[in-house]
Amino acid sequence: MIHHIVRKEFADMIRDGRFRWSAILVGSLLLVSLAHGWVQARKASQEHAAAQATTREHWETQGEKNPHSAAHYGVYAFKPRLALSFVDEGVDPFTGTSVWLEAHRQNDFLLRPAQDATAAQRIGALTAAQVLQHLVPLLIILLTFGAFASERERGTLRQLLATGVGWRELALGKALGASGALALLLVPAAVAGAAALVVANPGPTASPLARGAVLAGAYLAYFVVFLALSLAVSARARSSRTALVFLLAVWVVNGLVAPRVAVDLSKRVYPTPSAFEFARTVEREMADGVEDIAPPDRDESTERLLAEYGVERVEDLPINAVGVYLQESEEFGNRIFDRNYGALWDAFRRQGILQETLAAAAPSIAVRTLSMGLAGTDVEQHRHFAEAAETYRRDLMRQMNGDMTENSLTGDFSYAAGAELWESVPPLEYEAPPLGWVLGNRILSLAVLGAWLAGAVLLASAQVRRAEVA
Amino acid sequence: MTARTVLKNEWRLLMADRPLQIALGLFLVLLGYALTNGVVWLRFQERTVEATTSGNVERASALQQELEAIEAGGQPSSPFADPRSPRVLGGPSGSHTAVLAPGPLAALAIGQGDLLPYYYDVNIYTNEASFQQNGEVENPLNLMVGRFDLAFAVVYLLPLLVLALSFNVLSEEREQGTLALTLSQPVSARSVVTVKLAFRALVVAGIVLGVSLLGALATGGFGSPGRLLLWSVTVVAYSLFWFALAAWVNALGRSSAWNATVLVGAWLVLVVVLPAAINAAAGLLHPQPSRVEMVTAQREASNDAVNRRSELLARYLEDHPEMAEGVVADEPGLGALSWAATDAVNGRLEEVAAEHDARRAEQTALVRRYRFLSPALLAQEALLDAAGTGDARFAHFQSQVRAFAEQWRDFFVPAILADEQMNASVLPNVPRFGVADEGSTDVARRATVPLGVLGGLLALVSAAAGVGLGRVRGAD
Repeated sequence: MIHHIVRKEFADMIRDGRFRWSAILVGSLLLVSLAHGWVQARKASQEHAAAQATTREHWETQGEKNPHSAAHYGVYAFKPRLALSFVDEGVDPFTGTSVWLEAHRQNDFLLRPAQDATAAQRIGALTAAQVLQHLVPLLIILLTFGAFASERERGTLRQLLATGVGWRELALGKALGASGALALLLVPAAVAGAAALVVANPGPTASPLARGAVLAGAYLAYFVVFLALSLAVSARARSSRTALVFLLAVWVVNGLVAPRVAVDLSKRVYPTPSAFEFARTVEREMADGVEDIAPPDRDESTERLLAEYGVERVEDLPINAVGVYLQESEEFGNRIFDRNYGALWDAFRRQGILQETLAAAAPSIAVRTLSMGLAGTDVEQHRHFAEAAETYRRDLMRQMNGDMTENSLTGDFSYAAGAELWESVPPLEYEAPPLGWVLGNRILSLAVLGAWLAGAVLLASAQVRRAEVA
Repeated sequence: MTARTVLKNEWRLLMADRPLQIALGLFLVLLGYALTNGVVWLRFQERTVEATTSGNVERASALQQELEAIEAGGQPSSPFADPRSPRVLGGPSGSHTAVLAPGPLAALAIGQGDLLPYYYDVNIYTNEASFQQNGEVENPLNLMVGRFDLAFAVVYLLPLLVLALSFNVLSEEREQGTLALTLSQPVSARSVVTVKLAFRALVVAGIVLGVSLLGALATGGFGSPGRLLLWSVTVVAYSLFWFALAAWVNALGRSSAWNATVLVGAWLVLVVVLPAAINAAAGLLHPQPSRVEMVTAQREASNDAVNRRSELLARYLEDHPEMAEGVVADEPGLGALSWAATDAVNGRLEEVAAEHDARRAEQTALVRRYRFLSPALLAQEALLDAAGTGDARFAHFQSQVRAFAEQWRDFFVPAILADEQMNASVLPNVPRFGVADEGSTDVARRATVPLGVLGGLLALVSAAAGVGLGRVRGAD
């Protein structure tokens, strides 16, 4: 029996002009956005790889100089675009693309693409993720708001039930029929996406296919939530019009209102300092130290070295005391940076968690968070790269100061190292976090989306059971 | 039956319609939330502006005290940061923060204010790369999602309220069978619909403008009546556009359900899909030049400049004067030599930036053409411009900071080149930044285009609605 229902629903849908046109619109937007995203990601990826190679070349060919001058010269790190970022660019336009790794300071990521764009470009980016998060649910609503309500209005529901078909079967059949129609546009997009990943990987990532599979699963769960909600509302609503109005209201709150309301709320609960305040705090703490973090004392450091080497005068030290002091300054600065940047990242994380919690009121927030996480374009993975770059900077500084300490004497400003030292520094090689790390960060969103899924399916079965025939 | 009777009946209907009252109440609550978000953000910016201003004063007075102490025979606090040196006095430790105070209506639209920088530390080393700094510290997630401010509520949610109020303005009468009765009186369908919609427009505009004016009142926005007027005109024109669209659809004589579907579809296309599609098309057809190559160019320029100065020691001392232990602190010409290199790098950076900016301006101009397709984009542009949080005001500020940096260099560089020392007497003459904010006329001139097009769209849709309603007969 059920396959008759499925076939009938499916046939109805693809015969319906409204569905055909909206499906063609959404399907082509999806394919265009995938293609657009892929082209962009590959272009950015190539640019960054080229720039990374150039900065390495500059580093290696900087000529003979004091290692500390080389440390000031530094290198740049360019944030790689991960493979799946073509599906969801996430926060990438709003984080910087490059950071200068130099002596004495942790710099901010600069060159945010959005800063070069216009205000109009901020109110809607057409990415595959946007289409999947907003337009596909709308299509689901349009497909199913009348599933029961229209049949009831036309009086066909009574006839249908008179044939002996159960409510359960009917609901399942309608859900499967709509899924079949949706599959006509989603499956090709998924295949195209997977093909793009396999055939011409646009960028590096750990286990791109596994990430892609989980991503597809998250979206599938999200669509089932909408399908079940829509059927539940259709089963209960007095008229198909009421069902549509109610579902559209849910859609507006879910996709438009709730995410922004959550942003402002999270900012009020967990405020962040102004850039001015942040910079001044770092400057002040770098000058005077803070709490138990005191700036290194140069005389004390020298005294300790004299005692350690058992000599009387600085000139008699077999090493360069300045190099030791410079490294101590680095270590001190690192603690100040960790303290300030750590607090900032933590505030961002708490804001994010609050927003994830509010997904209890709007599943779009949960699926958005999962989507960015799996695409590698969320704040946490930006932080992951930023910390990798900072660790690289610290290692680089340690190596430069170490070379200066070992190979020159205090007060000797003529010592110059060469290409051999520069080349001995390994290039920055970033490894994206594995899938487990990403999912570990996103347990809350997984749970909330799971709860939505279970809740929506239970609600649908309860509402269908209690639905009235006429 | 007069317009007054219709209005009176409309009022009674509104009073009796519980769901509509709930919808209006909810909208009012959302507007209130949006406004408080704007006010919180405005206060945050004001505190920052205050901190930069007092920072400027503190730095100047600390330098003055030190210079006076030195003149009285004291020693500089650090021999390597002697404020008598123009490279120190005009350098990072003596820098002046140029700041753009939030616009008079900033509480109404956060706009680009959370993304674009509104303050820069200016000193002799300020160059094109300095303008690549980030704006306010902000969670990138929040930047991506966007804020819930009044401008958002107007552009996205106001049309939905308008449509909820008007999708069945005529079709309901037909469905209830009262249309024939109404039109049997000496009135036309056109005037009935006009009066009914005028009443609803008054309610909607009243709510939105009421909240906006309240916000302006609370944050001193009445200081700029021109901007307030522009804001109000945009809100009214935008909501009238949606009312006119509803009237047109009603004139087609279909069912209320059909009207609702078509109107929601129109909202979806004009407000959600079209802006996104326009952005995607713009990105595909006119890709933005990448800034990444600027980093490389800057690097190459400074390598080149540094290579021209071969003295290893001088370079080392420049990086670390405190390490010199007084060896060659006063080596003649060091300042001039170093400035020559800085200047060479700045020149190259300006070339690269100019090239980049030209490409970017070209791209932006092309992208901006497409906004005529969407009334939502037009309204957003005019609203942000009115609030002073659009792209134009920030660009204006940046060009002023650029000019100020030039002024700053002109003041200090001659002394650097001549290897002269400065004293406390020059302090009153050090340039101070004062922003010359754009006038209401500049804003109005810029807003003519989007408002004109929005007005044109409104006239077009109204005309179509008028013609359509003229054909409506009671007995069809």
